[in-house]
Amino acid sequence: MFISLKDAVKKYGDGETAVYALDHASVDLEEGKICVILGPSGSGKSTLLNMLGGLDTLDSGELTVAGRKVTGLSADQRTDYRRMDVGFVFQFYNLIPDLTVEENIEVVADISEYPLDMEEVLSALDIVKYRKRFPRELSGGQQQRVAIARAMIKNPKLLLCDELTGALDTKSSRSVLQFIERMNERFGTTVVIITHNEAIAGMADRVIRLKDGQIFKNYTNEQKITADNLVL
Amino acid sequence: MKLNRRYLRSIHENLSFYISSILLTVAALLMYFLFNIAGNAILDFSKVFFADHCIEDANFTTYMPIPDEDISELEKEYDLTLEKEQYINVETDGVTARVFKKTEKIDLYEVTVGEDIGSDDEIIISEGYAVNMNVAVGDRMKIGKRSYTVTGFFQRPDYLYMLQNVEDSYKNITTFYLAYMTDSEFDSLGEAGCRYLVRYGKEDADGNVGDNTDFRKKVHENYYMQSYTSAPDNPRILMVDMQAELFVEMSYFILAILPLVAVALVSIIISRKVKNEQKMIGTLSALGYKKGQLMLHYAGFAAIPGIVGGVLTVVFAALAAQPYSELGLQDYEPMRITGHLNLFNAALGIIIPTVMYILAALLSVRRLLKKDTVLLLSGNADAGEKKRKRILTSSKMSFRIKYAVRSLVGNPMRGFVVFLGVFLGSFIMLLGFAFFDSIRGMEDVMTDTMGSYEHQYILNELSSDNPYGGEKMLVTSVETETGGNITLVGTDADNPYLNLHDKNGDKVDISDGYYITSLAAFIYDWHVGDCVTVRSPLSLEEKELEIAGILENDVSAAVYMSTENAVKFADLKEGVYNSLISDVKLDIPKSKIVVESRKSSIGEQLQTMLNQMWFMIWLIIGLGVIICASSVYVAVNMMVTENRNNISMLKVLGYRDRKIGRIVLRVNHIFLPIGILLSIPAAYYACGAFYQMFADEFSMLVSTSIFPVSYVISAALTAASYFASLFLVKRKVAKVDMIESLKDNRE
Repeated sequence: MFISLKDAVKKYGDGETAVYALDHASVDLEEGKICVILGPSGSGKSTLLNMLGGLDTLDSGELTVAGRKVTGLSADQRTDYRRMDVGFVFQFYNLIPDLTVEENIEVVADISEYPLDMEEVLSALDIVKYRKRFPRELSGGQQQRVAIARAMIKNPKLLLCDELTGALDTKSSRSVLQFIERMNERFGTTVVIITHNEAIAGMADRVIRLKDGQIFKNYTNEQKITADNLVL
Repeated sequence: MKLNRRYLRSIHENLSFYISSILLTVAALLMYFLFNIAGNAILDFSKVFFADHCIEDANFTTYMPIPDEDISELEKEYDLTLEKEQYINVETDGVTARVFKKTEKIDLYEVTVGEDIGSDDEIIISEGYAVNMNVAVGDRMKIGKRSYTVTGFFQRPDYLYMLQNVEDSYKNITTFYLAYMTDSEFDSLGEAGCRYLVRYGKEDADGNVGDNTDFRKKVHENYYMQSYTSAPDNPRILMVDMQAELFVEMSYFILAILPLVAVALVSIIISRKVKNEQKMIGTLSALGYKKGQLMLHYAGFAAIPGIVGGVLTVVFAALAAQPYSELGLQDYEPMRITGHLNLFNAALGIIIPTVMYILAALLSVRRLLKKDTVLLLSGNADAGEKKRKRILTSSKMSFRIKYAVRSLVGNPMRGFVVFLGVFLGSFIMLLGFAFFDSIRGMEDVMTDTMGSYEHQYILNELSSDNPYGGEKMLVTSVETETGGNITLVGTDADNPYLNLHDKNGDKVDISDGYYITSLAAFIYDWHVGDCVTVRSPLSLEEKELEIAGILENDVSAAVYMSTENAVKFADLKEGVYNSLISDVKLDIPKSKIVVESRKSSIGEQLQTMLNQMWFMIWLIIGLGVIICASSVYVAVNMMVTENRNNISMLKVLGYRDRKIGRIVLRVNHIFLPIGILLSIPAAYYACGAFYQMFADEFSMLVSTSIFPVSYVISAALTAASYFASLFLVKRKVAKVDMIESLKDNRE
């Protein structure tokens, strides 16, 4: 399995006030697929994403990504893991406001061992004409495409998307999801999307539903549709 | 308001900001207080001590002694107090004791330690020497051929600054002291010198003693005035109040610069912190909080560093007042001063920073509240201002450089805080070194300017024959129209011991007129061709001098002329002299010498002065380090806080803390060389201006010099303070939590 999470526990607080963000969750994900994780607020979606991305550590359990055991990595090793293997896309883009589109992407290209060609990525995400603009000069959808480009420039094995359409209108959301789909197809990147939006599950190869830190549904989407056909 | 519960939490969350702001406030204000306290303490002391011990208004010597009955007559006639004082200089094992016969009316001594003399076997000595040379009460000391028991130490008002000769530049604490013994013992020491002390009638409303012209004329007519030194021209007396006034003036200078700069720095920081709270201000405004309530709330935040800094300053100032004031007096006899902080100053110390910080916060909140609430809520109230960041978009430079440049251009005030911190820190350190190095540099200048002689003697009588050897000179002094004193030197144009040259280094022939030194030209603003009026302090006769040229000499305010011109000017017989200079010691009877000085003692005096300056220099350097480090720390800390999301994102993207530190923290590096470089001319100019301001009091125009090693040390210390601050902030970069700040962004 590309991602293997076993008996993962993450709790905040102690004793009676302890809250389990992940409560003995286990899941396996295949390489090159799109996985959508659904769940209400507080279900543990973001925590799971943080664990997968090496942003946070588990209290117990085991996580392996692309054959690399992520649990037990030191902070520096987790930094290397994020640098080499993981791309992130966030709801509010998290672009660096003082840098142009091109420079924001360059920030990642600069520390990647084998970055993709800048022009290829810019044109794949249709943002060539915005390359000299600053994030504040772009719409939300355009900014999110820049964020995807920034995540993809390093050609990551795993692309983690946190509510990537949460701040966008329907048209922009569809466009962004189309680009995610295109990236998955073009580069074979494994994509994990966490979202509130049930409709997005339609484009997933695998759907995981979380509730109170536990995985209560984990199934293969037999009726996968393309992002063009999603009813957002 | 419940909202005010944020105060304590804010302190906890922004502890480093509060500590730095408080430190900056304390460092700046404390210097003002300490100088002010020390200056006023000395002034208070001198006023009382001078009055209680009947300080002289002037002292003079005459060629003919004034009989005791004439003294009484003169006192009655001119409503003044006149007293004869006898003294003798006794050199024993290389140490000179100036022994006085006790006076009854003027310049009374006070036994400060031990007891007064009771028998012929006992002496009391000046306290400064006793302290410096570890002499204890009960010790035996040899004066001449006899040994005496020291029964006590004393101070007298006209010798609080212990100059062996009034012409000396600095006190002599190792080879010169004063002593009193019984009259019979004094008489056995040999032929004593004599001078007269005078206290004029009552002061007028302006504090000036009455017109003494008639008295002086009469003394000169009847007894031939040989020298006349008024108290304001007597450095032994003048220096005490001058030092005090220097402290007070410095305190105002410091008040005008440091606290205002500190207040400006902290105010800028507070304004930015308030600006960072725009979402919160928008939210509170949307919730219905009134403008006044919000302003009051943020005024409270700003008041914290002001009040805490002010209170700490007051506490430190109160604690340090006494030791610091005494420290300022290390050049003087150990005066019993009382340094204390008065209530008015204490209140001022708390009110000034508090009010300034509150004003800064109020202005920022007021400006923000004028903006659209919706924009405030989105945190984009200053979006329009960001347009100026659109630079270097087409440049091929690395994104790190572009990031740094845009960060600087987009945040000019933050950059200004760093620049000001570096500049001020370096400036203060360099200024300290400049004060020190300039004095060090003066030793060579003085030795070279004064010529090749080693010994100078001023005799108590005019002579024509010279059985002693050396080169003859006629030395006298005159009063200028502005009240200053200037020395007239009549000498042979080819005097081999003098180095009379112009600013180009060319030898000057003084035989054809009156040549002033460059110091005199500077102090009195005299120029070549000017016709100036001077007055003899002895006869009070006014005369005119036409200035023929300027000699390069910044260490003595004097007029040089040929011996012929000098005797003509002073209406004296041709060929007379009253001074000898020589490269070897001359065998002249002590009773004939008024002043005996060695040129090499100037070097020793300067060295003593430099040794005692060290503490002050380190204090100044410490202040520079604190100001530089605190300013840089608060500014860079602020930058890290403002860039929290960027830092967090870079971490998420796989950047290591070290690399992130390099990207974010090096933004202000450019201000380090700029600040240091600009501080050089500033320190140079400030030091020059300081020494020019006090050229008259110091009796020399100290040329500013900063030694290469001082540049290196101050630049290194500034850089060390800068990088130490960055090092501390680096930890903050490491502590930025990826998840927390991403969560903030989500919110």
